[in-house]
Amino acid sequence: MNYDSLIVFIVLFVVFAIVGFLSSRFRRGNGTKLNEWSLAGRKLGAYLAWFLVGGDLYTAYTFIAVPSAEYAKGSIYMFATPYVMATFAVALITMTTLWKMSRKNNYFTGVDFVKDKYKSTTLAILIALTGIVAELPYIALQIVGMKAVLQVLFAPFLHVTATATAVDDIALIVSFAVLAAFTFWSGLRGAALTAVMKDGIILSSVIVVVIAVPLTISGGFHHAFQLATTMGSAKAVYPTLSPKLTNAYISLFVLSALALYLYPHAINGVLGSKNVKAVRFSTAMLPIYGLGLFLLTIFGVLVFAVPAALHTIGYVSPANLGNGSLVVPALIAATMPQWFVGYAFLGIFIGGLVPAAIMAISQANLLTRNIIAEFRKDLTEKTEANIARWASVGFIFLALAFVFLIPPTYAISLQLLGGILITQTLPPIFVGMYTKFLDKNALIAGWIAGIGTGVYFVEAANNFGSPTNSLMSTPFGLLYVAAVALFINLVVVFIWSLAANTFKRSPSEEPQKA
Amino acid sequence: MDQRYVIAGLLLAIPTAVLLAVPMYNRMNPQLLGLPFFYWFQAVWLVIAAVLYVTAGLLITSREKDGESA
Repeated sequence: MNYDSLIVFIVLFVVFAIVGFLSSRFRRGNGTKLNEWSLAGRKLGAYLAWFLVGGDLYTAYTFIAVPSAEYAKGSIYMFATPYVMATFAVALITMTTLWKMSRKNNYFTGVDFVKDKYKSTTLAILIALTGIVAELPYIALQIVGMKAVLQVLFAPFLHVTATATAVDDIALIVSFAVLAAFTFWSGLRGAALTAVMKDGIILSSVIVVVIAVPLTISGGFHHAFQLATTMGSAKAVYPTLSPKLTNAYISLFVLSALALYLYPHAINGVLGSKNVKAVRFSTAMLPIYGLGLFLLTIFGVLVFAVPAALHTIGYVSPANLGNGSLVVPALIAATMPQWFVGYAFLGIFIGGLVPAAIMAISQANLLTRNIIAEFRKDLTEKTEANIARWASVGFIFLALAFVFLIPPTYAISLQLLGGILITQTLPPIFVGMYTKFLDKNALIAGWIAGIGTGVYFVEAANNFGSPTNSLMSTPFGLLYVAAVALFINLVVVFIWSLAANTFKRSPSEEPQKA
Repeated sequence: MDQRYVIAGLLLAIPTAVLLAVPMYNRMNPQLLGLPFFYWFQAVWLVIAAVLYVTAGLLITSREKDGESA
């Protein structure tokens, strides 16, 4: 038996943990302050910011959810490529503005801006809660990804299924204890520096695998697409997009592009940058990262040409495709030498860990700054930082519990539900940055309308069963629910604001005329 | 408004505008290394987008520097 993959994996994981702990010394400031722990003292340059924000992108979403969806549902999931391309255009406009305002007014979170702008505690708390809740399924998705890696890593060594499951669970708990500990000590610094290691390993693995796999199969990409058409799901189209899904494709990519930089973890990474130039150039270079995502998407098609990988996934027939979340790990294990499997798997594994840390830090930030501090005005900076540290540990384990309670397929579809929720914070944050027109009560009403209809439509689209579908039928064909909910939200906000502004203005204007 | 802001805005909008026209690129041929046109066309735009975004960033940065010296 060959233990190379396991040895390489463990050695690299130890290196990763050491980097995580030592990074607390990097450009060290006063570690007792929240600013230092959660924003790395706002000292990240363009390169580190590139890795950190890019690190948010290379998550289990990229190498587990998207390839598995492409495998099971076909070309509609290519929407991820235009999504990442468009999202950085959104970020270049909105995040540079937010960064400048944050430095001037000492904002730590997007919610700090909302509170300062509209002077409404209710609105600020609603937005903070939306952020915290929307992150949870995203973190759970990371854990599903890590679990998929462990499952394929240990598969050759364990033949009794019951033992294998127990080992997976124990390994998962151990790695999360390490994650929680280093998140606690090193904060955003730990995440930023380990993100460099993670992205280095993942990028190199992806490039090697994408070149190697088509060479090992006869006929290359063309052959894989032909096989996908005959062996893949009968409902799915692989080489091109079914014309009736055109609007679904557009709404998925546009709304996802708008959503990413509303997530607290994305804003957190931006605010950690040391100057606006670092934000601008790190963001402008990020579409290059999208190439990796694009290549990983194609893995969902390439896998059809590799019988050994299909065997690991448990492929039976077009009606029973097996466990799609194993596509990328199975493809790597089936085609690459053992030591490389260990190397690539570690990349994917910490590719789930690091974003989970960044997400937990941003949740902790919101809870401390924007919820607890509203009720306890007397918190010192040191207490604030301590609460946030412990809260991050709490959120990490809350998400871990999520995975034991909810099967993998649920976690991936819940991520889309998270997207529907977070999009409803667009009016106060993105629109609010550029206009004084919006009224705080209008924003609260719009939020209620958007969240309410969003949750209802998603439930209705799934016949009030488990949420596996995020597209709904409309007169414009199938559309991503987030698009419809955001539209309703915006309509409520604009009409209510218009009315509120009209009534507000009339008493003050009339005396001037008289 | 400074012309550079308008040009930068256009540079940011071009890639998304192109990929919004899904029917234009939703086809099989011409293929590249066996990849359908639908796939590789979008990947090529990732690279073009990075170039356009960096150009837009340079334009705005030069605008900010002029602003400081003025």
